Amino acid sequence: MADDLLRDVEQFFYREARLLDERRFHEWLELFTDDVRYWMAGRRTRYPQSSKAITVLAGTRRDDGDIEDELPLLDETKTTLIGRVARIDTGMAWGEDPPSRTRHIITNIEVEPGATASELTVYSNFLVYRTRAETEQDLYVGARQDVLRSVDGAWKIAGRKLILDQNVLLPKNVSVFF
Amino acid sequence: MATDVSRLVDAENGRISRRIFIEQEIYEQELERIFARCWLFLCHECQIPRPGDFFTTYMGEDPVLVVRDGNGQVGAFLNVCRHRGNRLCRAEAGNAASFTCAYHGWTYRNDGRLVGVPFIKEAYHNALERERWGLIPVAQVESYKGLVFATFDAEAPPLREYLGEMAWYLDAFFDRREGGIEVVGGLHKWIMPCNWKLPAENFAGDGYHVTWSHVSAIRAGFGGDFRVGADPTGVALSPGNGHCVMTVGANMNADPPAPEIQAYEEKIFPEIVQRLGPRAGTLKPVAGTVFPNFSMLKPTSRTFRVWHPRGPEKTEVWAWVYVDKAAPPEVKEANRLAGVRVFGPAGVFEQDDMDNWQACTQTGRGVVARRHPLNYEMGLGHDRWNDDLKAVASDYRFSESNHRQFYQRWAQLMAAEKWSELKS
Repeated sequence: MADDLLRDVEQFFYREARLLDERRFHEWLELFTDDVRYWMAGRRTRYPQSSKAITVLAGTRRDDGDIEDELPLLDETKTTLIGRVARIDTGMAWGEDPPSRTRHIITNIEVEPGATASELTVYSNFLVYRTRAETEQDLYVGARQDVLRSVDGAWKIAGRKLILDQNVLLPKNVSVFF
Repeated sequence: MATDVSRLVDAENGRISRRIFIEQEIYEQELERIFARCWLFLCHECQIPRPGDFFTTYMGEDPVLVVRDGNGQVGAFLNVCRHRGNRLCRAEAGNAASFTCAYHGWTYRNDGRLVGVPFIKEAYHNALERERWGLIPVAQVESYKGLVFATFDAEAPPLREYLGEMAWYLDAFFDRREGGIEVVGGLHKWIMPCNWKLPAENFAGDGYHVTWSHVSAIRAGFGGDFRVGADPTGVALSPGNGHCVMTVGANMNADPPAPEIQAYEEKIFPEIVQRLGPRAGTLKPVAGTVFPNFSMLKPTSRTFRVWHPRGPEKTEVWAWVYVDKAAPPEVKEANRLAGVRVFGPAGVFEQDDMDNWQACTQTGRGVVARRHPLNYEMGLGHDRWNDDLKAVASDYRFSESNHRQFYQRWAQLMAAEKWSELKS
């Protein structure tokens, strides 16, 4: 991939991160296509195939990486993302009142060709620091796989798959966006 | 020396001391007298369908291994190696004929028997009595309609007797149609910085908070036709033994708003009344708690969960999403999406609850705040036994009648040395 394309994608992600950290959620929503699927799941703890800790009685083992059929934390459409922002706008979304203060750090960006000529598949890692009220603090760390689509000369997010690396989630809630 | 909790719970006057939500000594007593004694939920049978399937969980703070053995029998054991106390099975779920401890290699069959000890001949001179050092089993394990429960107390009454009349209300969540329910995918696990009794009492009887805590989600359209303030007929019910259920009237909409679910529920309602009897035609159970820490919910999303205690100020939640096994695929999918979007750590309803329960717990650290009891007076004197519903019933949909019944049972268990001292 050309350097200028990588720079372009980086700048797009950094701008997105700033919109989130500045709580400009309506502008953030405009970055998504209408057909976006926005999905997040946590990680499982399973014995790997090579493990000698157990002898398998029946069936096949499952890896901890097999998470597609697990219960996700988020499985959203553009409509439900708009609803989540509308909920915060009611002034009665108590888990975000007072609001979370976040810092989105996006790194390890890899750009690959997408399924169509107008799309890219982009891998990245995220580290989201959340602090709130007096001393509350949480770290949300994981991997992101995005489908970026070029629409009228600008990038839009047409698919976002997020893997949150914790098994038992340590933050009390997931009330921030990624 | 056990703490005398009788003065901390005044159910008659609707006053409860904040000490029971914050003090370490009371928490330790709960682990002994509530969690090492009551029937606790382990998992649903559909999670371990095949011989060898296992699931690891907790009873109180004790790690437990639930396994279907080679004969198809479900057993539950402390997930602890007998040698040095290492945690035996480290995975959440899987399938195994045997489990080997990571420390010295002691190996146990999935029926709990100790079958392998490295160097047993040379180092133990064949003198180790392997049959005495199998995994420690729970005292009793039983299922009710696919829900697997266990107790560490051999004196505990059988599960069906422990559930009592709550069994019918469980049917209204988990056995509405032939085949009962199945769980969707895995489960949500997360930490709440609150005392375990706050979520347990909330699901037991707190219809009141919905109209304020969750109004943002309702206004943003996630509650659909889940109307606030429109149901004159709902009641809070306590069918006994500390178990609690909230209901709405039979003609109320008590389901997630997805059109597939709405159409399905309308279609199957006569079948449910036929299967569960006329009581199902007079009310719809919507939420509840099996004492002490197994809760369930039906409108907005279908979830059941365990509130694992982790110290007085911490709770580890394990939450499942469930569907009728006989439901068509599009209804199951609509319920899966409702389950993810509305409840769970990112759910638009649930994410606000943790924040309230956290502060309700932490302000109790103040010694002066702790001197003042909490108010559980709502509906006091307006609840009485109802023969048709076979439960203590409130006369209005918002009431703390269930809370008082829950804490009264809690206080009885905390005061009793053993089951025989308790009247059910």
